[in-house]
Amino acid sequence: MTSVYAKPVQELIDELGRLPGVGPKSAQRIAFHLLKVEKGDALRLATAIIEAKDRVTFCQRCFNIAEGGMCALCADDRRDPTILCVVEEPRDIVAVEKTQEYQGRYHVLQGAISPIDGVGPEQLRIRELLARIDGESVQEVILCTNPNLEGEATAMYLSRLLRGLVPKVTRIASGLPVGGDLEYADELTLGRALEGRREVDG
Amino acid sequence: MRLDRVWLQDVRSYATADIELSPRLTVLLGDNGEGKTNVLEAIGWLATLASFRGAPTESMIRQGANSAIIRAEGEREGRALLIETELVFSGRNRVLLNRQPLKRARDLLGVLRVTVFAPDDLDLVKGGPAGRRRYLDEALVASHPRYDALQSEVDKVLKQRNALLKGAQGRLQEEAAFTLDVWDAKLVESGGRLAEARQHLLDRLHPLLAQTYDAVANRPAEVTARYVADWADAGLAQALVTSRRDDVRRGVSTTGPHRDDIDLRIGGLPARTHASQGEQRSLALALRLAAHHVITDVTGSAPVLLLDDVFSELDPDRSDALLENLPVGQTLLTSASGLPPKATPDRILIVRDGRITLG
Repeated sequence: MTSVYAKPVQELIDELGRLPGVGPKSAQRIAFHLLKVEKGDALRLATAIIEAKDRVTFCQRCFNIAEGGMCALCADDRRDPTILCVVEEPRDIVAVEKTQEYQGRYHVLQGAISPIDGVGPEQLRIRELLARIDGESVQEVILCTNPNLEGEATAMYLSRLLRGLVPKVTRIASGLPVGGDLEYADELTLGRALEGRREVDG
Repeated sequence: MRLDRVWLQDVRSYATADIELSPRLTVLLGDNGEGKTNVLEAIGWLATLASFRGAPTESMIRQGANSAIIRAEGEREGRALLIETELVFSGRNRVLLNRQPLKRARDLLGVLRVTVFAPDDLDLVKGGPAGRRRYLDEALVASHPRYDALQSEVDKVLKQRNALLKGAQGRLQEEAAFTLDVWDAKLVESGGRLAEARQHLLDRLHPLLAQTYDAVANRPAEVTARYVADWADAGLAQALVTSRRDDVRRGVSTTGPHRDDIDLRIGGLPARTHASQGEQRSLALALRLAAHHVITDVTGSAPVLLLDDVFSELDPDRSDALLENLPVGQTLLTSASGLPPKATPDRILIVRDGRITLG
C-alpha cells in the first residue's frame, strides 16, 4: 500500500512512531503539529536532540548520563565514596536523588538480568562494579534494583557475587507507600511489608 | 450469589433470548445442536471473560452481527447485581457493573463465580497432568485470589530459567551457572510455595472427592487423590541441582511444580489407565463438585453451578442421586436425553430453533 502522505511526512511519522510510548496515532499528531509550528520552534527540537546525542555520554565511572567524562554526582567531592547505590537505569538515580536522603555514590547497571531479553550479567556493568569495589574502598553496596522479578534476581545475583568482597551489602526494603491506607494496599505489597516488619523501640 | 435473569442478544445461535432462572435448579432441555450449551457458555463468560469451550470470544458473536450482548441480573452478598457486557470483534469488550462502566474488562473477574462441568472435563482424568494442575490452580485462585500473583510469578521464573537454559546450547559456562543458581533460588522460593498451596488444597478436596464420587458413581469404590512431585523426596532445591545436567542438555526445566500431577485412583488402581469411561466421567464430575464445595466453604458463598450434559453417562439412579445431592446454591443444567425419573426441577426451559420457552 502506498502512503497517502508525502515521503518526508511519512518518514517523520515513522521515526516518531519508533519512540517509546508513541503509537501510530500520536506519531501522526506530533508530526502534523511540527509541520504547523514555526520553523524556529521545530528546529529547536532538532537541535536539542543533536546536542544531547553529541554531548551527553555515559559517566566513565558510574555509567550515569554525563556531559564529558564524569557525571556531576561522581565529580562532587562532598559525596561519600564508600557507599554505592546500585540501580538499573539513570532515571532511577533521579528518583533516589529526589529523596535527598542519600549522600553516597551510584553505579548504573544499565539493565537487569533477563534471559528472555538476552540480558545476562555480562551485558550489565557488573565487571565495572567489581573494579570500583576494589579500587574505591567501598564499605557498603545498596542494591536498589526494581522490586520486580528481574530486579530481585539481579539483586540476588549481586548479593551472592559481592559476598566477602564488601563489608556490607544491603537491599532496599519493600513495603507500603507512606501516607497511604492499608486497605488500598495490594496483597503482595502488604505481604512483603509484613515479612519485613521491624521491632519498634520505644 | 444468584442470577435471576439473563438476556442474550446476538450470542451464538440466539438473535435474542430472555431467560428467567430459578434460585435453585433450572434445567435446559433440547436436542443436540439446539444451543443449550450456548446459554451456559454466555454465563460462564461473565465469570471468566472466556469461553469454557476454549473458543475465542469472537466466535460467541452470532454470525452476521457486529457485537453480542450478555446481560445478567441477580444478587451477590445480599446486594443487587447487574452485569452488562458487549462482546466485539475487534477492540475492547465493554463491561458495566451495576451500570458503572469498568475501566478494564478484567475488573469483572471475581464478581460472578461459576463452577463448570462440561463433557470435555473427562480430560481431567483421562488427559495429561497439565489439565489436573490447571484444575488445582483454578480452584486455588477461586478460593484465594492472591495465588494469581504467585502463579504468574512461577510462570515468569520458569520462562526466564528456560531462556537461560536454551541460550546455553547444551553447555553451561561458569558465568551462566552462577546466574542459573539465582533462577533456581527463585524457583525454589515461589514454586515451593505454589506446590505447598496445591498440596494443602488437595488435602481439603480429598474427603469431599471420595464422598461425591460415592454419590454419583455406579459402583461405590475408594477414591484417592495424591499430589505427586518427583522432587518431593529430595526437596526442590536439591532436585534442581540433580537435574541440572539434564536441564542444560535439553534446554528446559525438567523438574519443578510445572511438572507435578495428581495421582487419581479408584479402588487402588490408576484412574487414567484402569477405570472405565463411566468411572472416569464420574470422577471428573466429583473433582468439579469437590472444588465447588471448597470454594463455597472458603468464600462463604456458592458459585453458580453449570452442569453441561451431565446425565449422558450416568445411569438414571445415579442421575437421581446427583440431583438429590446438589450442593447449596444455584444450578443450571442441560440435558439432551430428558430428565431422570425422580427429578423435580424448579424450572424447565425448552430450547428449540434458537428460542427458549418455558416447559
